[in-house]
Amino acid sequence: MIEKSTKAARGTVQCENTNINLLKANDFVADIIKKEMAKTKTLLINITSSAGSGKTTLMQKTAQKLKDKITMAVMVGDLETERDADRIRETGIQALQIVTGGICHLEAQMIHQVLDQFDLPNIDLLFIENVGNLVCPSSFDLGEDYRVTLMATTEGDDKPKKYPKMFLTSDMMLVSKADLLPYVPFSVEAVIKDAREVNYEIEVLQVASTTGEGIDEWCDWLLEKIEQKKG
Amino acid sequence: MHETSIVNSIMRTLEQQFETEKLNKMKVIHLKVGILSNIEPRLLYNAYEASHMMNPKYQNVQLKIEMTELKIQCEFCDHITDVEKYRFICDKCEKPSKNVIQGEEMLIHKVEFND
Repeated sequence: MIEKSTKAARGTVQCENTNINLLKANDFVADIIKKEMAKTKTLLINITSSAGSGKTTLMQKTAQKLKDKITMAVMVGDLETERDADRIRETGIQALQIVTGGICHLEAQMIHQVLDQFDLPNIDLLFIENVGNLVCPSSFDLGEDYRVTLMATTEGDDKPKKYPKMFLTSDMMLVSKADLLPYVPFSVEAVIKDAREVNYEIEVLQVASTTGEGIDEWCDWLLEKIEQKKG
Repeated sequence: MHETSIVNSIMRTLEQQFETEKLNKMKVIHLKVGILSNIEPRLLYNAYEASHMMNPKYQNVQLKIEMTELKIQCEFCDHITDVEKYRFICDKCEKPSKNVIQGEEMLIHKVEFND
């Protein structure tokens, strides 16, 4: 009688259906940040846009308007240099530069690493000024309460359809550099139409940091969200 | 740089998921990524190849990427629409929708191992 082999079959392929998110590691850390912020009741806002659409200037203007009413701080991501953090510090608020050393976006891990530099229980509003880029930052959840995307009038009004993921995941679109509208071929109506075709819930405000247009509405929106977070 | 981060994240995730013994038998990694994920398969393949130069441990493991098209399902009439030109609007009842049911995935869908 021939002994029947009990060995496992050879040469076959074992398969495991995993269905794990590629960015599981990132989302895990984002969740930790979210919990931390819930504890300290700090409103966390992720500011994204292309390079040069006025994120840092908006941070300066917002700091000037709000620093007597609330405590705010900014962490700012760039590939190199401390320039943006320096500009924001000039307004008298705490700003921390995250130098990514060539990486085109901020990841939750980078935020979590620097969180202990902030006195969170005493901070009402913490901004993350992301790396200027409408592509990669859209995929990385940083544990933020709201994602706000700037869309400068100098960029052209065709961006929402070109970078749909960013606009799909944003809660607010700020049409920035609105003071330049008379000089550039940019249609606010067209950009809103495209943005709403991608994300019908996206809120829109028109701002100009240098002239102050729309800054009051923007700050009111922030104050309302801070109130909500405080519960 | 984005693609390099993703390759690192995939390998880190797999190393958390499986024992070393099993990892050594890994044969094929199947990814399922949506059009909206901003992942460009060719660049990801290149980044994956490049990662073997730093760490040749997985150089015989194949990477396969499946791309999925964008679909939304209407919250009002349940109709499924293939999204074209990033118009997130139900093509039956014309209501806007953010209910993406396919096309946003970034998944390590399946892993094959040698016996």
